[in-house]
Amino acid sequence: MVELLAQTGLNAVYAASYISLVAVGLVLIFGVMGVVNFAHGELFMAGAYAVVALYADMHVPFFVAVAIGMAFVGLLGLLMEWALFRPLKDNPLGGLVASIGFLMILQSLAVMGFGVRMEHIPPVTQEVVRFTEKVGLPVARLYVIVAAVVFLSALWYFLKRTRFGWALRASAQDPEAAALQGISITQTARIAMFIGAALAGVAGALTAPLVSVNPHMGHSVIVTAFIVIIVGGVGSLEGAILASIAYAFVHTFVTTFWDGVLADIVGLSLMLIVLIVKPTGLFGSADRA
Amino acid sequence: MLLEMKGIAVNYGKINAIRNISIAVPEGKIVTIIGGNGAGKTTTLRAMSGMIPIASGEILFEGKRIDHLPAHKIVAHGIAHVPEGRRIFKEMTVEENLRTGAFLRRDKDAVEEDLEGVFKRFPRLRERRTQRAQTMSGGEQQMLAIGRALMSKPRLLLMDEPSMGLAPVIVEEIAQIVEEINANGLSVVLVEQNAELALELANHAYVLETGNCAMEGPASELRGNEHVRAAYLGL
Repeated sequence: MVELLAQTGLNAVYAASYISLVAVGLVLIFGVMGVVNFAHGELFMAGAYAVVALYADMHVPFFVAVAIGMAFVGLLGLLMEWALFRPLKDNPLGGLVASIGFLMILQSLAVMGFGVRMEHIPPVTQEVVRFTEKVGLPVARLYVIVAAVVFLSALWYFLKRTRFGWALRASAQDPEAAALQGISITQTARIAMFIGAALAGVAGALTAPLVSVNPHMGHSVIVTAFIVIIVGGVGSLEGAILASIAYAFVHTFVTTFWDGVLADIVGLSLMLIVLIVKPTGLFGSADRA
Repeated sequence: MLLEMKGIAVNYGKINAIRNISIAVPEGKIVTIIGGNGAGKTTTLRAMSGMIPIASGEILFEGKRIDHLPAHKIVAHGIAHVPEGRRIFKEMTVEENLRTGAFLRRDKDAVEEDLEGVFKRFPRLRERRTQRAQTMSGGEQQMLAIGRALMSKPRLLLMDEPSMGLAPVIVEEIAQIVEEINANGLSVVLVEQNAELALELANHAYVLETGNCAMEGPASELRGNEHVRAAYLGL
């Protein structure tokens, strides 16, 4: 029993890692630009397909494929900022609708390029870090965990310790006052969009060999990310990370000991309870970011 | 003239917020804009710093036209704006707020010196250096907003209602700070509802009424003016 709990705990840490990468990017984009990016799950999907194309089909080394995928999805983010969110910057609802359109475009492109069947990706490594005979962490999952820790720490450092990080937070809190300090809101929006998209991209790329890659895989990811950011408090990066961890543990444990559908129900119920008890989320305040 | 505003009009939709406003700010002086609620004082100041588009007229700073520039570019020319309601970054620490004020500056050593200068001028801010700005009192937040503006090393400081919502003792303190800053060579445009305070501090004054410039002149002269005394000083 102890071993089962330990194993489930490790699985939850893995789930928390990729969920928080996706959710933090979503929060960052919402904070700085004020738009809800519905296409965020499809950015995750695009990262996974980059690995399908480069690693599985073209036999590029896995980590090179992941790096290219991350950069590619970051560029997709820049494209979205330029083509959708900047022209619609005075119209957050319009930005949301446009992002739904972009989601459909990305899905259709994936279907056209790769078909609707699930992609088979050869495993990157079969190695497992064994803690006991029955408790182990596949190295492929360890990569995801390490990536989450590294990238989220780097983001934290960037936001708290660098001039452009302060500019990003200032833009999120009060865009007009930020402009009065000489900060270009267009530039901070671009940075936020690149980082947010790239984080979703790397999450998709690293998890690609571990999940079933298909054009609609972004859907469940975005639903999870929305639950997490609402629970954590919209606009709070720390909240998104902590809520990702909490959600992943609850979801993984319920899935393991009961079943997956019940886990979804429990996840959504928890969100509703948080909304009733504390409508701004666990770490949210009335002000943004 | 450090700053010259010539025949500026600003419209909000079909409404003219200000019409044909001309304001001149001489180097090293304090110019004040007074007037009632909705007279167009804030609009005039926002036009100066590029926060709202102007419908006509031109704005020159040190002889160069700046009226077509976005707000974040105008800061680089040497105009800092302390906005109405302070608008500090509430979730950031005091120090982060101040350093954000120096966002455009590359002269790192001078930034450190200026940060020290701000802390010297406002010892309360040094005490609260690592505290979130939101947790401070209104007067401290106003000091932070002024400090943040000073961190950009401006030639001209625009201040919108710095006395708003503050206790009389604090207002006195803020007034003293404005005088000190000006004595160090910084030119100031001061928008105030508190006309008594504004006319006491300023060298030159403009009186706005419903979007028009009703009167202008040396502050000492306007203080003696019958209309100003009756309408704005309550005498």
